[in-house]
Amino acid sequence: MSGKRTKRGILVFAGAVVATAILLCSCQKKEVSLSLLVWEGYADPSFVRAFEEAHHCKVSASYMGSSDDLVAKLRGGSAGNYDVISPSSDVAASIAQAGLAEPLDLSKLPTYPQLSPRLRGLPLVKANGQTFGVPFMWGPNPLLYDTTVFSQPPDSWGIFWDSKYKEKISVWDDLSTLYMAAQMLGYDKPDPSQLYNLSDEQLAAVKQKLLALKPNIRKIWSTGGELTNLFENHEVVAAMGWPLMTNQLRQANFPIGETIPRENTTGWIDHLMITKASPNKELAYQFLEYMTQAQTQKKVTDVTHYTPANPGAAQYMTDAEKKGLHLDDPDAYMQRIYFWQDVPRRAKYIEIWNEVKAAP
Amino acid sequence: MYSRAYKTIVSLPPLVWIGMFLLLPYALMFAHSFWLVRNGMIVHHWGLRNYATLFQNPLYAEVLFRTMRIAAGVTLLSLLLGYPLAYYMSFHAGARKDLLYQLVIVPLWVSYLVRGYAWKTILGSDGVLNGFLQYIHITKEPVSFFLYSPFAVILMLTHIYTPFVFLPLYASLEHIPRNLVEASHDLGAGWRATFLRVILPLSLPGLLAGATFAFVLTLGDFLAPLLVGGPSSIMIANIVQSLFGTAYDWPLGASISVCILLLTISLLFLTEQLEKKWAYQ
Repeated sequence: MSGKRTKRGILVFAGAVVATAILLCSCQKKEVSLSLLVWEGYADPSFVRAFEEAHHCKVSASYMGSSDDLVAKLRGGSAGNYDVISPSSDVAASIAQAGLAEPLDLSKLPTYPQLSPRLRGLPLVKANGQTFGVPFMWGPNPLLYDTTVFSQPPDSWGIFWDSKYKEKISVWDDLSTLYMAAQMLGYDKPDPSQLYNLSDEQLAAVKQKLLALKPNIRKIWSTGGELTNLFENHEVVAAMGWPLMTNQLRQANFPIGETIPRENTTGWIDHLMITKASPNKELAYQFLEYMTQAQTQKKVTDVTHYTPANPGAAQYMTDAEKKGLHLDDPDAYMQRIYFWQDVPRRAKYIEIWNEVKAAP
Repeated sequence: MYSRAYKTIVSLPPLVWIGMFLLLPYALMFAHSFWLVRNGMIVHHWGLRNYATLFQNPLYAEVLFRTMRIAAGVTLLSLLLGYPLAYYMSFHAGARKDLLYQLVIVPLWVSYLVRGYAWKTILGSDGVLNGFLQYIHITKEPVSFFLYSPFAVILMLTHIYTPFVFLPLYASLEHIPRNLVEASHDLGAGWRATFLRVILPLSLPGLLAGATFAFVLTLGDFLAPLLVGGPSSIMIANIVQSLFGTAYDWPLGASISVCILLLTISLLFLTEQLEKKWAYQ
């Protein structure tokens, strides 16, 4: 008798659990959810929460490890899982051309005309007369140096090859290091886009140039935290890095300097795009609009220290902040940056880079 | 004894597991290795292009051989460290045996990454070791080859894989009947003859199992070169990682993986044969 009662008790309990689960699920279904696949720092609660409250929705973010990671995920068939993506300028064009992004109706984005005309004018996210993305944040890959070693900012990437700095240099485990060597060889003249379309002979010369750099390389860094550690532990005195690290090191009171040498440098423009497969396009438009508004851009800048695409963000900044982000003269700054472009022979570039890394 | 239905039900979960998580992924990897990437898309054109690339560009063979050299070095060092330890613990540790055993096992509970970062703290220019050497005036400048060098990679991997070598060795030493050792002594053999002619041959299966662990695990390692390796210390798994990640050339990455897999399988097959041979001697 008691056994039967227990059994019935279990059944009732199980039923209750199932019922509650169904109820919970249906409740959650009512709240719309916007899924992002973006770079780290682009979905910080400091600005995303206000959007969630205003639009009664839930924003859930996944982070991409690299541009290629993003492309692999979109091509791998999981495009429908994401509403908004933030590709950099190197893959934005191919995503747009592959039909993975939604052509934008710019009339739904009232803030769009406020964004930097220079960024809007780039052909990166345009195909067949349509625009596929809005510029969001941008920045260079500057030369970072220890100011206790360099009293003056180094004026050329050439110091990387100076035998004085044997085992004291770090470079990024990225094609940007190849572009830098190509700039040293002058392949960016007269047309900087040649950097992304190097011939076999030019790539061979770039490889030799990088092999000559190897005795000076202490470590090839692959994450931002790794490079800040290399500086803090005095393993290296100069490196190619990101503005993010300069700011992190300054906050840690490390004597770090940042400069763009006379050969200029490469950089990136991150765009926000809506995926073709997104089931929440209207909400995604509202998100793009919100993220490009001057006030939001200032908040994103506080987290990432990248330069905002909306110059209006400057009105919420102190003069020092403006200067730090080069908003006092963004055009002059942009002149110094060759923004990443699609590399048609990416696999060949990577093979060359692997050969450099594998050489004894 | 057991009904057919019972046997089916019991063997179903492991079969499903093996099928889903072992055979299917390997089949996919094998298929990928014959495909190609065209305009950033993986196209299902069957061919041997990837394998031809592997043989034509010396990059891949060079890195594979370097990886095997590193693996051989790590194996040798782990054996040199692990064997005396296992020998001491099995024959001479007495009551301290359990405590020592725990001490050998404890590092295995610490995350691989944490151990990697610990080595960075020890070996770095501002690290513990360089600080000590300068304090006792052996060196004036920080010694740079301690960290971000092949030396650091081999040191870290040896530290990590020595317990893997120790465990099977210790097990095989523990299984040696003690009366055999006594008989050897009674028959007038010294400790050297006893070790070389009784203990060592009987511990060979454990030694082989341990060596295989260290070699195979090092062969597939990519974190140690990333954490403590220098600008030239990349290993074959780093190339596979870059092909599957940044390069988005899964087919070429898969073809390297197939080669490594075949290498590993033949190695395992070989050591298994040897183990069998020596176990019945």
